[in-house]
Amino acid sequence: MKKRIVTLSTAILATSLLLAACGNNANDNAGAGNSANANQPAGNNPANTAANDGAAADPASGASGLVVASDMSKLPDVAKQRTDTIIVGLTDPSGAFTPYFQQSGYDGNVSGLLYTPLIKVDDKGLPTPGLAEKWEVSADNLTYTYHLRKDLKFSDGTPLTADDVAFTWTILYDKSYDGDSLVNTLNVKGGDAYKAGTATSVSGIKVIDPQTISVTLEKPNASALTVLGSDVLSKAYYGKDYKQGQLDYMKKLSGSPLGTGPYKLEKFIPGQEVRMVANENYFDGKPKTEHFIYKTAQGDTWQYLETGEVDYASFSATKENIDKLKAMGFVNILPYTPSNYGYLQLNLKHPALQDKLVRQALTYGLDRQSIYVDAAQGAGQIANIPSSLISWSYTEDGINPYKFDPEKAKQLLDQAGWKTGADGIREKDGKKLTIHYLGSKKPETDVFIAVAKEDFEALGIKFEPEVFADFNALVSKVEGGDYDMAAFSTSLLTDPADGLLQFIDGEIPGYDDPAFKELYAKGLATSNIDERKAVYKDIYKLLNDQLPVIFTSYKKNVYAYNGRIQNLSVSPFNGIAPSLPSWSLSQ
Amino acid sequence: MSTYITKRILYMIIILFAASFLIFCLYALTPGDFITGNIKLTPERKAELREIYGLNKPVVERYAIWMKNAFHGDFGYSLSQQKPVLTLFNQYIWNSFLLAIVSTFLTWLIAVVVGVIAAYKQYSWFDTIVMVALFAAMSIPSFFIGLFLIKIMAVDWKWLPPGGMLTTGSTATGFAYVKEVVHHMMLPVMVMTLLGVGSLTRYFRSNMIDVIKQDYIRTARAKGLKERKVLFTHALRNALLPAITLVGFELPALFGGSLIIEKIFNWPGIGQLYMQSFGLRDYPLLMGFTLFIAILTVIGTLVSDILYHVADPRVRL
Repeated sequence: MKKRIVTLSTAILATSLLLAACGNNANDNAGAGNSANANQPAGNNPANTAANDGAAADPASGASGLVVASDMSKLPDVAKQRTDTIIVGLTDPSGAFTPYFQQSGYDGNVSGLLYTPLIKVDDKGLPTPGLAEKWEVSADNLTYTYHLRKDLKFSDGTPLTADDVAFTWTILYDKSYDGDSLVNTLNVKGGDAYKAGTATSVSGIKVIDPQTISVTLEKPNASALTVLGSDVLSKAYYGKDYKQGQLDYMKKLSGSPLGTGPYKLEKFIPGQEVRMVANENYFDGKPKTEHFIYKTAQGDTWQYLETGEVDYASFSATKENIDKLKAMGFVNILPYTPSNYGYLQLNLKHPALQDKLVRQALTYGLDRQSIYVDAAQGAGQIANIPSSLISWSYTEDGINPYKFDPEKAKQLLDQAGWKTGADGIREKDGKKLTIHYLGSKKPETDVFIAVAKEDFEALGIKFEPEVFADFNALVSKVEGGDYDMAAFSTSLLTDPADGLLQFIDGEIPGYDDPAFKELYAKGLATSNIDERKAVYKDIYKLLNDQLPVIFTSYKKNVYAYNGRIQNLSVSPFNGIAPSLPSWSLSQ
Repeated sequence: MSTYITKRILYMIIILFAASFLIFCLYALTPGDFITGNIKLTPERKAELREIYGLNKPVVERYAIWMKNAFHGDFGYSLSQQKPVLTLFNQYIWNSFLLAIVSTFLTWLIAVVVGVIAAYKQYSWFDTIVMVALFAAMSIPSFFIGLFLIKIMAVDWKWLPPGGMLTTGSTATGFAYVKEVVHHMMLPVMVMTLLGVGSLTRYFRSNMIDVIKQDYIRTARAKGLKERKVLFTHALRNALLPAITLVGFELPALFGGSLIIEKIFNWPGIGQLYMQSFGLRDYPLLMGFTLFIAILTVIGTLVSDILYHVADPRVRL
């Protein structure tokens, strides 16, 4: 009918940002971080709710900022009836559950429960044992040796050995591999030859015994330990049809994963549910809760949490959201900071922006506090370095915070030779100083444009914003080069080097600094955390001064989960996967 | 008749060719492709992947490849969902169809009955109330009424589920399964019917008013036929004739899904899938689906032309 056709086209225009790569963090931003550290035993009467905000923070919960459910009697019957099932909302799993061979971050969330990596990372991003109980790095930082735990099994009971690990790494170097794993960027010795088809195996991968495997790189890369130490595919299952240069068959297996994770796939109902059941062969013992379901939740997840249809959901940490969650009474609220950072990419090919002084002036002259913190209802945090807030490498020591200072900005512009012209716009060599800004359609962009226009015009800079209907359109415009400034956020970062990759691989055209490149290589040349920390501190200082991009902000979110769930914690880098096996339902 | 149909089918094929080319160009010219949005990839790897997917080939060549495969029944492979496009259609379209067929049926039923009565009793209090109510229903935005009903019926009163098609984790089969689906589809069907019924009722009402004034109705009455017979046999049949055109347009709508309703009610339909795929620039799926709707539209018009002939002997084909 006509009406439906019309709604279809308007909805296309209104498409909001769909960040495929960003997995569960599509709905982020803003909030009232630890405004409430109150802690109360679950199952109290409603009268206590009001007192909650003022109550003294319990030291234990204060650290994580957990707000405990105030009134479990409000728990809906739907949730009460579930005794051995936990349900979590997930935007849109598509059903491709083989790690390395999936395109959507949501599928990654699912396979994260179906598979266990060789090496996990802790809450600081440091490596901890997974399927591998220990590992060694050679003195030249080129050879990594992984020692697998004894008696590892896939969920069907077949044994997992070093051969499976070797198979997994090998197929990622196949020339027909079309996924986005970073393994094939690590320069494993012999990888190129295998890709070209001139070798039948990757020479750098060596199976020493069924429990031990080593891999040799051509040049040191400290992030290799965790990148290689990822999920393991069964050679017997995934490799039986494999011929070099031919990975098409993998697509047929994407719906029937065979893993090593705490759960195994029971049933996938497209567009509705991913049902999982506890894996009795999990190396760390069978999980406490028998069933786990990821429920597809496209739109708003509020109604599902409120009616008890899901047990766990993520929201942006605005004061409004937190108040609403507290009023529900039966959910615990856990604040968290996603491990990425936001930035404004600058077009360094344009002469004006090639000048460091201009870039610094733009940063001083932009009221980031108003845009990213105040407009986002109190929390959120300003970023000044290319590191996530929760990384072990994060530092504020010696970092210029670029506090909002229009006078300083004007002074820097004067110094750079941009003089105010007759119309109030600064010019140099007959050219006016204009900033052509690109953003994608969302409320935060509107806030940015409103504030930035005022701030930049006060400095004598002409500000020309342009907003795109969706993220893809924005990126392709930026790739075309017709812009001065564009708003982006990184994907979730694990190793500190991840956050720097864009400055090295040509993603930011025009940035080419030998001093940075040297430091970057130095940071990856050693696996010693203290040494690396020192190197990254130098890098952050350098980039904080040079500002190849303007660092903007960190987001603040909250997880809200049913108060019945015990032992829940969320890893900043791996989400719920590490703690899920120990989740249990009280009552 | 058969020469007419042959001719029409020939035209249809030409139209579809033109449509397919247009669809292809439209998507090929949309800024960004499937690779662009993946911020994890390095520029080098992006180039490699475009090579693997064939996205770096010229548009005309890509069109030729696409058409060649389409003729072999292969509508491509969804890049983001990692499944053949036709498999995905099969998984999602029937859910959309279920919602659409039930709400369309209800919409037509209500529209015909209410339209006829309102026309027969033109300017009565019934007519006035119905007209006001219809205007109200037509002017409410679908997302508003959808969310409002969820708030009232599901969250506050807990009568109906807030969305989805099944109770999460349900293992119901047979009759219990049917009951569960019916329970879940009540809200979306209600909203879709409410939104669709307005224009259609007004359409039938005005058609009916025109027909009632015709000479043959006066003749029928003069012959002494019962009022009921006059109304439903003589008048209604003639009033329904122009609606046949609408039947043709309904066909693509039955399978096309409803973006907003499916999103609000978390219904696993094709409209939602299309929407996500658009954000991701999953071209094989987008092109396949758009072409599918084009085919249905063309078939729909043919069907309505043939129906005209069946319903009205005066129409010669």
